[in-house]
Amino acid sequence: MSQFNAMTLVHKLKEQLNTQYVNVEDESDGCGAKFSATIVSEQFVGKSLLEKHRLVNKALAEELKEIHAFSQKTYTPEEWEKVKPQEEPEE
Amino acid sequence: MPVVTVGNAEEYQKFINADKTTVALFEADWAEQCAQVKDVLGDLSKIIGDKLQFINLNAENFPEISMKHQIEAVPTVIFFTKGSAVDRVDGVDIAAISSKSKKLAESASSAAATGQTLEDRLKALINTAPLMIFMKGDRNAPRCGFSKQLIAIVNDTKLPYETFDILGDEEVRQGLKTYSDWPTYPQVYVKGELIGGLDIVKELLANKELEAALKA
Repeated sequence: MSQFNAMTLVHKLKEQLNTQYVNVEDESDGCGAKFSATIVSEQFVGKSLLEKHRLVNKALAEELKEIHAFSQKTYTPEEWEKVKPQEEPEE
Repeated sequence: MPVVTVGNAEEYQKFINADKTTVALFEADWAEQCAQVKDVLGDLSKIIGDKLQFINLNAENFPEISMKHQIEAVPTVIFFTKGSAVDRVDGVDIAAISSKSKKLAESASSAAATGQTLEDRLKALINTAPLMIFMKGDRNAPRCGFSKQLIAIVNDTKLPYETFDILGDEEVRQGLKTYSDWPTYPQVYVKGELIGGLDIVKELLANKELEAALKA
């Protein structure tokens, strides 16, 4: 019964975190309750893992109240360059 | 306040969700022992009725509620705090019913007296053990996929840890989200510091930093 889909989350993340790259997979077969996100942003530079996740959680504060399961991977552009090739597909 | 006989589910919900702890007797007309327990609740309500509220309901008239709490025999007494069952006594065990009621009444008054806030409680909880996990269910029966994965990873480190089941305590469940500014469960704490959720633990594991982080 969630009103969110992957597109709305991508849009929100782009807007809030000025992302260089963002990808959100809906893993719930469209019911909008389970998402997995990959987020690359300059704003993560110099931040700890916890702080990066906090930034994302804050950007999606409203959405996360409704979404049952959300997992995220956060990268600075520099980190992203290193992991990009083997990033696809996981799990 | 005397023992209130609950007539409908709505009334029941209102009682058990109240701030005041509720002592609920699940009974049946045909079971004589129930009357005995009811008398005891009546006596208790005279002594500690200002701190606890006492209700009784006919278990057979509320099959869904009885099923939910796995009432297998009458009388059964369940203690509710803000909607969550915090303790129970199955059968006629007057001593247990009395002592548990008194204990809950005491903690209610000490919380009021010392002004122990939710924040104090959360602080104490996250410091229960050096490695503390707030999760859905417990280590033997995780009740969500993320909690389950997390426990599997932490078990592999062989480090000792404690868990807290947030499904059993709505106050903590909501309060800790705000307190730690972290919207999801599971949550992992090392010496009272939030490490993060499953994603972070997985990433630490992948970077071979997990053990160090959990021992910190």
